[in-house]
Amino acid sequence: MAAKNTAQAPLTPAVLHILLALSTGERHGYGIMKQVQADSQGTAKMGPGTLYGSMGRMMEAGLIRESDKRVDHEMDDERRIYYELTGAGRAALKAELKRYRGVVALAGGRLAHGH
Amino acid sequence: MATNVADRRYRSWYAMLLRLYPRPFRERFGEGMAQTFHDLCREHRDARRGLFGLALWIFFETLVGIVRENTTHMSQLGKTMLRVALVALGLLMVPLAASRVVEGWNWGPGAFVFTYVLFFGTGMAYALIARKMNAWAYKAAVGLALLAGFVLGWATMVHMSETENPVNLVYFGVLAVGAAGAGLARLEARGMARALFAMAAALAVAWVITQVLSPDAPAGPVWNIGVIHGGFVLLFAAAGLLFRHASLNESK
Repeated sequence: MAAKNTAQAPLTPAVLHILLALSTGERHGYGIMKQVQADSQGTAKMGPGTLYGSMGRMMEAGLIRESDKRVDHEMDDERRIYYELTGAGRAALKAELKRYRGVVALAGGRLAHGH
Repeated sequence: MATNVADRRYRSWYAMLLRLYPRPFRERFGEGMAQTFHDLCREHRDARRGLFGLALWIFFETLVGIVRENTTHMSQLGKTMLRVALVALGLLMVPLAASRVVEGWNWGPGAFVFTYVLFFGTGMAYALIARKMNAWAYKAAVGLALLAGFVLGWATMVHMSETENPVNLVYFGVLAVGAAGAGLARLEARGMARALFAMAAALAVAWVITQVLSPDAPAGPVWNIGVIHGGFVLLFAAAGLLFRHASLNESK
């Protein structure tokens, strides 16, 4: 139910960035932060407080979940918790992108009439 | 070398800061947050950049998160307390109505207040413990264990007020075994299973003790009392099996 509601409602910028970061695969907290930074070309800066607070709400809404993967061989052998998108998370991302396309089309049409 | 010392100091302070998060949040994300902070420090150190600016920003940003999570946690706790208080009030209507209908049932106001406190306390215990795990088996086990414990405690109180036999205090020992076991298990499913099996065993022993120490207690036929005790033993054992089921599913 929560996932359904989240899929219908507009997402916060932090949630959208996290969904985008996880859309290419499982990542741990630091990996998500780096991906968000790369996706936004450095304009979006997310600290652990915002990241994990948003992820907590996203897990409750069923948008993401913990993955079974634990070790990042590229970084070290420490145990890390990875996160991945759920079906509801992917649906929420698609719905948000559809909304964005609608807004862009509307804005484009209005600007064209304005000229 | 100096950077390493600063790194260790900042990480230690950050670990202390994380303690200010509500416990459920801390248990879920605390380790990951500390790890992420460690990664960020390493990234800055490798880039030969100072840690002070990073630490200042992260500490402030985390502090904002702490305030937000605590506010959310408190409002959720408030809602839970209100729900439990209303359910306890609803349950209190049963003895209240019964005292009007059943002849000889004449509780004073103190008895109703005491009963309400027991209902509310048991309900809050369920609400706070059951959210430790999302598994249905864990929630069912907590509910069954608390219900059986509540009825056992209630029956013991009533029985003691009627017979004034101190031997019956041994049943409170059974509840104490459960409480101590839950504390030692830190509410983890595996340990809770052991605590409930210990309660079942302790109850069986308690029955033997009461039979040996007060065989003439005017409490009805022995087989009848045996059936009641057996029922409680089965309830505690069933709760233990549910906890075990939740523990096995968790480790898969």
